[in-house]
Amino acid sequence: MTIQQEAHARERSRPGGRLAGDEDTDHDAPALARSRRASLIRHNAIQILIIAAAGAAAILFGVAVTDALSAKGIRFSFSFLRDIAGFDISEGVTVALSAGAWPQLESFTADHTIAQAFIAGFGNTVRISVLGIVFSTILGTMLGVGRLSTNWVVRTLSFWLVEFIRNTPLLIQLVFWYFAVVLQFPPLASAAKLYGGIIISQQGTYLPALSFAGSPGVSLWLLSAGVVLALAAFAWKGRMRWTVAGGGAVLLLAAFAAGLQLAVDQPVASRFQASGGLAISPEMAAILLAIVFNTAAYIAEIVRGAIDALPRGQWEAAASLGLNRRSTLHEIVLPQVFRVVLPSFGNQYISLAKNTALGVAIGFPELFNVYGTIANQTGHSLEGVVIVMLSYLVLSWIISALVSLIDGRLAKHGAMR
Amino acid sequence: MIAASLKWSRHNLFAKPLDAVLSLIVIPICLWTAYTIVEWALRSAQWDIIPESLRVLMIGIYPPDQIWRSWTAVAIIGALLGSALGCVFRFRRAHAVALAAMLFVVAAIMLPFGTFTVAALAGVVLLSAGAWLLYSYVPQTRRLLVPMWLAGLVAMLAVLAPPGVGLWGGLLLSVIITLVTSIVTLPLGILLAFGRRSRLSSVRVLCTAYIEVMRSVPLILIVYWVWITVPVLAPQHNVSDVARGMVGFVLFYAAYVAEYVRSGLQNVPRGQTEAARSLGMSELDVNRYIVLPQAIRVAVPPLVGNVLDIFNCAALVFIIGLTDFLRAGQMILANPQYSDRTYEIYSFLFLTYFLIGCLITFVARRLEAHLAKGSR
Repeated sequence: MTIQQEAHARERSRPGGRLAGDEDTDHDAPALARSRRASLIRHNAIQILIIAAAGAAAILFGVAVTDALSAKGIRFSFSFLRDIAGFDISEGVTVALSAGAWPQLESFTADHTIAQAFIAGFGNTVRISVLGIVFSTILGTMLGVGRLSTNWVVRTLSFWLVEFIRNTPLLIQLVFWYFAVVLQFPPLASAAKLYGGIIISQQGTYLPALSFAGSPGVSLWLLSAGVVLALAAFAWKGRMRWTVAGGGAVLLLAAFAAGLQLAVDQPVASRFQASGGLAISPEMAAILLAIVFNTAAYIAEIVRGAIDALPRGQWEAAASLGLNRRSTLHEIVLPQVFRVVLPSFGNQYISLAKNTALGVAIGFPELFNVYGTIANQTGHSLEGVVIVMLSYLVLSWIISALVSLIDGRLAKHGAMR
Repeated sequence: MIAASLKWSRHNLFAKPLDAVLSLIVIPICLWTAYTIVEWALRSAQWDIIPESLRVLMIGIYPPDQIWRSWTAVAIIGALLGSALGCVFRFRRAHAVALAAMLFVVAAIMLPFGTFTVAALAGVVLLSAGAWLLYSYVPQTRRLLVPMWLAGLVAMLAVLAPPGVGLWGGLLLSVIITLVTSIVTLPLGILLAFGRRSRLSSVRVLCTAYIEVMRSVPLILIVYWVWITVPVLAPQHNVSDVARGMVGFVLFYAAYVAEYVRSGLQNVPRGQTEAARSLGMSELDVNRYIVLPQAIRVAVPPLVGNVLDIFNCAALVFIIGLTDFLRAGQMILANPQYSDRTYEIYSFLFLTYFLIGCLITFVARRLEAHLAKGSR
């Protein structure tokens, strides 16, 4: 709602404002005051009635549910969250307080509590959401630009790819990626011979990863700080840029001086299992592929629409300055487009986060899947729904808050640099 | 000819160095992919699985001896869709030719299923064409559109119900869920949209909260939640899975319909409301006769897009154990005898979904163009 609309709504909602049926022609002041007061009272009475009705409905619903549950001998309470889970989750990291005061991350096992199982599921949902948002934005922008390419093949291909993805259900795409693509990869035994550094197999995909040998601790903190500063210097083109870059370099050097050894951790595959490197389970690969391609198609459509909506004069002015198409796109068109499309991107990001719930179809342990297991094991399905619903609400709100934060920043700067 | 095609490719494929590089990379990949797919489809694919399992894909485990019921339901759906089309697009000779050609091709493919199937198919197509024709040339019938749709939906459900609601499945179930959801959400969505701009702040807050909460949680969660809550609240009634699933869909999509209608409402100039009020119309009449018709006009194309959304998400009913189109395909693949036909089944599913999706998108685009013509 814009400010004007809000003001507008307030004006209309003002009690005794301009209600239909008011006699505006009546210039008798006391009569006018009386009728105003009457309509004000009526307005407030209706308000109170509606609030009371809504409250009564909510209470009635709650009472009915608890009654029905207690008839079955189940009590509506959240105490089951502290129980030991007793089941395992195929992948997932949870927060544990076991070692000292600081919460630590450790992978979920059967002897963690139910609450920690929820955290592990939520962590998986967030992980897929973040990765999906990053990759689908990149791929979607490429597809959207591709739809306006001067190259006929690229243009047609992008068009049909986007149309195909948008006109088929996400669920069938997900199931297809899982059963018909990821699970059809070669088994580990032959995969090890096929690919060099990367192992792509039915049992999972293994990528080489950076690993830290030597003593972690201080050096790791120094390294992270240095990387953050370096990235900041890369992204931020202020006056202090070179100072920041220098600081980053010093920190990185200090990290190595403090005994940090970086090594590339190559995954090693034996006949039945692979170890080392960065492991991506088949389920995660499938859901990531499905969600990234699906959201990218929608983002491509948004980007294409925004580029199309840009005045032709922008292209013409850039051309008259002697910019080629590539520079026009990078320096003139896309910066403006990103400012326009950011709210629409936000909507897509929210639906992406919601779509991760489809992981239950292929057994990826995201929040909804973990909730299903918990509901099965403990029978507390209604309490669980409340938790899951709140988690998704919070996730959606965080995403939309972040998007509007960035949007506000961009609006303040006038344009993206 | 050769010169023209050379000129075309220089313009469209090799205009600039980047284009040339892209073409050289992309074209071989495309050709190779196309070749692989075509070779697989013509040589190694065993398409006999599709006709063998077509009945399961279309109507799930619905008893084969009751198949006339599903044909009746399909005929009713066809007539309803035809009548709706007739209200907007006039039935022309080109439409008749296209329908006849489509019928001919499909009938030729379906011939091995026996004359009954082909006759039923022809009957369905004729009925929808008849409804389309009637509604495009006899405008008086349009007043009966809403009652006819409601009666048709009820008749369809009544015809299908006797063998057991739990037996519904396949593509027919997906279509039924889509139809019922899109019809029932319409009045709810309109009410919610008006509630969101109500003068009463309590109504406004309640409607906004409902819409925003529904839009921030996954559909699958709402469907599952309704599915487990209804038996808790009404243990004495045995509400079927299909009905519970539909309630979940309706609750969820009402919020989306409300947003589309609201964007339509915002498009109605304020002067229209003011002019109507100055004529002394009551608030209800202003909304009913002045605001809503203009808002719906704007909201119709996105609402048709929403129907596609519902159809695509109808596959989610697998979570409450229903056998929709996609699930029926997976059920066939679960049979060890057919486990090596993954690609055949999925190709068929994808193709069917894609054709229906394209059809709905096409209608939405035509509608948009058609309605844009009327407005200034």
